[in-house]
Amino acid sequence: MLSHFLLMVVYALLVSLFFTTLWRRERRAQIVLFLQLFFGMVGGGLIVAWLMYPFPPGPPAPIP
Amino acid sequence: MPDTASPEAPPAPPPSQDAQAARPLPAAQVVMAVALAWLVPGLGHVYLKRAVRGLIFFALVMISLGIGCSLQGNLYRPMQGQWLSYLATFGEIGTGVPYFVLRYGLHYDGRQEAAGFEYGTAFLLTSGLMNLLLVLDAWDIASGQKE
Repeated sequence: MLSHFLLMVVYALLVSLFFTTLWRRERRAQIVLFLQLFFGMVGGGLIVAWLMYPFPPGPPAPIP
Repeated sequence: MPDTASPEAPPAPPPSQDAQAARPLPAAQVVMAVALAWLVPGLGHVYLKRAVRGLIFFALVMISLGIGCSLQGNLYRPMQGQWLSYLATFGEIGTGVPYFVLRYGLHYDGRQEAAGFEYGTAFLLTSGLMNLLLVLDAWDIASGQKE
């Protein structure tokens, strides 16, 4: 359950379903919006991760 | 009494379901819908006769809340001198009754050392913010601004 990618996909799935149900009524429009939101979030996350790849990680944050 | 309508005139169409749904409800029912929408995710929509959508919203908000808790995310509370904690608390209180059940019934607090702490916090915050949007949606539907 602690895979970063899996959590990102689950999060994108929940949020996409939520906004699809909230904003659209017709089935076809719902599917289109769902796909846009879901792949926009997952794809956007992967692109940002890829852009951040060259940057070295900093020291781990201290646990108070 | 003779029929004065011309035979060529098309009959007036019946009011559509959308037009009926867009009729604003009395103020007391608007307040009730908003209150129910905040207290229990999706209940405002059920009250407004949109049971299927209400159940879907309930499931989505509760799944998000459940994942956030299983990852030991932070259930915010206001902290002196940290104004962002007030904002985050407001967001999570948006979940309604489940927030108070977690906080005072189950004494859930999250665990900062947990591996999923940050992700869990994101899920918990998202569930609260989703329900706040549902409150606004219930308001719009009840006041006739939205179908």
